[in-house]
Amino acid sequence: MTARQRSYIWLCIGLSIPAFVWLLPTLWMVSLSFQPNGVLARTTASTALGLVPVPFTAANYAKLFAFGETPRWFFNSLVVAVGMTLGVLVVSTTAGYALARLEFRFKKTVMIFILLGLMVPEQAVFLPLYTMFADLRWHNSYGALMLPRIAVPIGVFLMMQFFKAIPKDIEEAARIDGVGPFRIFWHIMLPLARPAMMTLAILTFLYAWNDYLWPLVSASQKTMFTITLGLASMQSNFAQSEGLGRVMASGVIASLPVVILFLIFQRYVVQAMTVGGSKG
Amino acid sequence: MSGTIRHRPRRRIADRHVAWVFLTPFLIVYVAFLVYPFFKGLWISLHHWNLLAVAMNPDAAKWVGLRNYTHLMWGRGIVWGPLSHPLVQLFALAVAVGAGLLHRAGRTNRSFMITLIVAGALVFFLLGFTPGEGGRWFDRRFWPTVGNTILFVALAAPGTTIAALLLAAALNRETKMMAVFRSIFFLSQVLSVTVVTLIWQIMFSPTQGLIANVTRIFGGSPISWLTDERFAMIAIVITTIWWSLGIAMILFLAGMQDISAEIYEAAALDNARGWKAFWYITLPNLKRTITLVVVLQIILHFQVFGQSHLMTQGGPDDRTQVLVRYIYQTAFRDSEIGRAAAMAMFLFVIMAVFSALQFFIAREGEE
Repeated sequence: MTARQRSYIWLCIGLSIPAFVWLLPTLWMVSLSFQPNGVLARTTASTALGLVPVPFTAANYAKLFAFGETPRWFFNSLVVAVGMTLGVLVVSTTAGYALARLEFRFKKTVMIFILLGLMVPEQAVFLPLYTMFADLRWHNSYGALMLPRIAVPIGVFLMMQFFKAIPKDIEEAARIDGVGPFRIFWHIMLPLARPAMMTLAILTFLYAWNDYLWPLVSASQKTMFTITLGLASMQSNFAQSEGLGRVMASGVIASLPVVILFLIFQRYVVQAMTVGGSKG
Repeated sequence: MSGTIRHRPRRRIADRHVAWVFLTPFLIVYVAFLVYPFFKGLWISLHHWNLLAVAMNPDAAKWVGLRNYTHLMWGRGIVWGPLSHPLVQLFALAVAVGAGLLHRAGRTNRSFMITLIVAGALVFFLLGFTPGEGGRWFDRRFWPTVGNTILFVALAAPGTTIAALLLAAALNRETKMMAVFRSIFFLSQVLSVTVVTLIWQIMFSPTQGLIANVTRIFGGSPISWLTDERFAMIAIVITTIWWSLGIAMILFLAGMQDISAEIYEAAALDNARGWKAFWYITLPNLKRTITLVVVLQIILHFQVFGQSHLMTQGGPDDRTQVLVRYIYQTAFRDSEIGRAAAMAMFLFVIMAVFSALQFFIAREGEE
């Protein structure tokens, strides 16, 4: 064994300690969700500090789906996240394409007008948005939960960058053949843009699923909660009424879609979150 | 694909018309749900605007000009002195002067230095204001809340950056094992703030928490992390670092990919490996990425809300009260949405400064 291989093995061993510590909180949540509430009320450290679910039960999950609002919240989250993602894809690909590939008057002005929106954080507009939707009596609806985020320009920016990078000759050739601009967009540009759309879709879905502040303000009726918001409402009274195991089971259910998304599309998720983190 | 594109000669629609058709859907939602609300927020902040009263009667909003802003930021009998907060003020001054000297010695890049000098001078100047004899702030909670937010950022941003930098340096190898480690450290990043706070509330619980359980094994008495004023802020910072390390780590890894292997090989000939290579090659070459990550973290953490709202409810004794939570409470608990909107504008200005900074750093790198 060379010195280099030996140092690599030591590095792996050395890293597995912080990695394990990093994973502990998540593992612990999963483990607690499989333990009976009666036991948890006495101690959370039954077996191996509570990291192994013994005594084991799946009752927390069964109860979660049998009654209570969690299934409804989960469904709301799905509707909002999918709806928002579709909405963002439609408005961002079209606007991004226009800004990247078409010539028109005031193009520069429009571009600056849209890019300035990147500087406005959600926290700066959630109060006036609240009053707007209240005036329209539109709170506690899927539309209210979705629309404000569709207006965020990060997607336009992302798609514009992508369309700019596509070589011009593909489009030129189609034009000479007399293909109209809408069909160029639909049949040539969109298929090429699939990876960028995928990144944008994941970015939006994660944001929609995890958003807390806007649903907290907009959805006041329990039936319109998203799962992220519902989980927050359970936290305030967790140990008392619901039982720790059941709250933890809700936490696991709430994380399941995003974790699955992460495990399947890891590359896109990492890319999406870095883009999202660095630009909006 | 070619089968679906039929040749149909027809009159070409001009680009400029098509462009507007493509732009319209976005522009409608953008103007309706971002541009208009932004200006409406500004408008609300210039009024005495009680949420409940205005909901009953739209005429209840009363124009007060900038009074909401003065109420927040000013007080009775405010005086300025160079030593109102001696420690912080002198530190800020030292940073500004030090940055100036460093720049003259040509050690660091320009925009970063200018930022440090401006920030140091600004902190020195602003912290000089304090209520004089018999005076007081109109809003006693505002500046302490801003202070808490800054403290949170000052702990979470460097904490995340340093941890992410070290991890990235260790993980910067293309092997299966390293990919697994990367995924583990990134995983917590995809969780929602409510899941993260749920996990960590129980982790920190003095009766049921994992940390308390471990403490007991070693015979210690558990700490009440979230209700002890010495530890509450640290607790939410730890939670935040655990949650937001992933993106910083990935950005550093991307930056490290751009450093060519030849430099490391050349350095290895001079016996610079491991820590030495990290210190003399990786760090100097990552200067821009580090600046970018720090600025991003500042923007991100300045907007902190969930950790404080769900884990400590701003307590104990307002020690973890942060700006966004104060905005939320002022608007929805006290119904004083005019005042809350003024605070939101204050937040916006700070965010805008840092976003502009981020934009210029990113641009500098592309040139």
